[in-house]
Amino acid sequence: MNAAVIGGDFLPPVICTFGMRAIAKQQMNTKLDQLVGVSDADLLVAFAEGNAQAARDLTARLLPRVLAQAVRMLANQAEAEDVAQEAMIRLWKIAPDWRKGDALVSTWLYRVVANLCTDRLRKRRTSMSLDQIAEPQDDTPDVVARMQTQARLRALSDALAQLPERQAQAVALRHLEGLSNPEIAQVMDISVRSVESLTARGKRALADVLAGRKAELGYDDD
Amino acid sequence: MTDPNDDMLDDLLAEARRQAPTPSDALLARVIDDALPPPHKAPRQTWDFITPLFDVIGGWPSAGGLVAATLAGLWLGIAPPAAVQDLAASALGTPVTVGIFSDELAFDMGGLADG
Repeated sequence: MNAAVIGGDFLPPVICTFGMRAIAKQQMNTKLDQLVGVSDADLLVAFAEGNAQAARDLTARLLPRVLAQAVRMLANQAEAEDVAQEAMIRLWKIAPDWRKGDALVSTWLYRVVANLCTDRLRKRRTSMSLDQIAEPQDDTPDVVARMQTQARLRALSDALAQLPERQAQAVALRHLEGLSNPEIAQVMDISVRSVESLTARGKRALADVLAGRKAELGYDDD
Repeated sequence: MTDPNDDMLDDLLAEARRQAPTPSDALLARVIDDALPPPHKAPRQTWDFITPLFDVIGGWPSAGGLVAATLAGLWLGIAPPAAVQDLAASALGTPVTVGIFSDELAFDMGGLADG
C-alpha cells in the first residue's frame, strides 16, 4: 500500500498493485499448502510435544464438527457443548499415546462423541418425564416456526433415546452425519453387514416411535 | 407408495442435518484452556505450593531482608561485639568473671557485682 502511494508518481499503480497482490497470493497459497499438508494426527503429535499452536489449530479444525454431531443427536445446545468439551478433553489426554496409523483422529472422535451422546440419551430415557413443549411467547411466524423446528429436533432426539444404543449410533452416523457404511463400520468397530442391519432396524424403530407424535409435530395434514 | 411415517422421518432427519452450529467464543476458550498446558508438563504444578507462600511473606524484597537478618544474627552469635556482651551482662545482672576484658577497662569485678 505504502509502496504504491510513494511510487505512484513514478510507477504505474497497476504494476505496483499487481506485484503486491501476486506476492500476497503467493504467501497465502504457501500458508494454505502448509495447512493442507498437515494431518490431524500430525497436529496431535505436535501438541503432545508441547506445541500450543497445534492445540489451537486442532480446536479450530475439529470442534465445529464435534459440536455439530452432538447438537444433531441431542437437540440441546448446552448438553452438546458439554459433550464437545468432554470429547476434546479426551483427545488432549490421549495425545501423548497417539500412534500414527492406528485410526484417523476424525474416526476416533466420531466414536467418542457418539458414545458420549448415547450416554446422555440413556440418562434422558430413564428420567424422561414427558417434557411439555413450551408454548411460544410470541405469535410471530418466525418464532412459531423456530419453536416448531426445535420441537421436531427434540422429538427426533428423544426417539433416538428410545432405541438400543448401537442402533441409535448407527442411525445417527448414517442419517445425521452422512457417513458411508464402511466408515460407520470403522467408527463402531463392526462389520459393514452389521452396520446395514443396525441402520435398517434402527430407522424402522425410529419411524415407529415417532409415528405417535405425528400430529403434535405438525405432520397431520400431509 | 411411500409410507407417510417414512416421509416424516426423512424430513426430521434432513432438518437435523441442517443444524451446523458455530462454537461460541466461550466454548473455544474452555477447550483451549483444557488443552494448555499440555498434560505431559503437569508435574510443574508442584511449584504451586511454594509460590503462594512466597507471595504471602512479600516476595523477593522480603526474602532478601529475611536472609540479611538471619546472617546478621548468625554473625552476632559467632563473634559478638564487646558492647553486646556488656549489654547482656547488664540486663542479666550477673557478674562477668571470664577474663576476656583487659585491665584497662574502667570497671572491675566489684563494679559489676550486685548491680
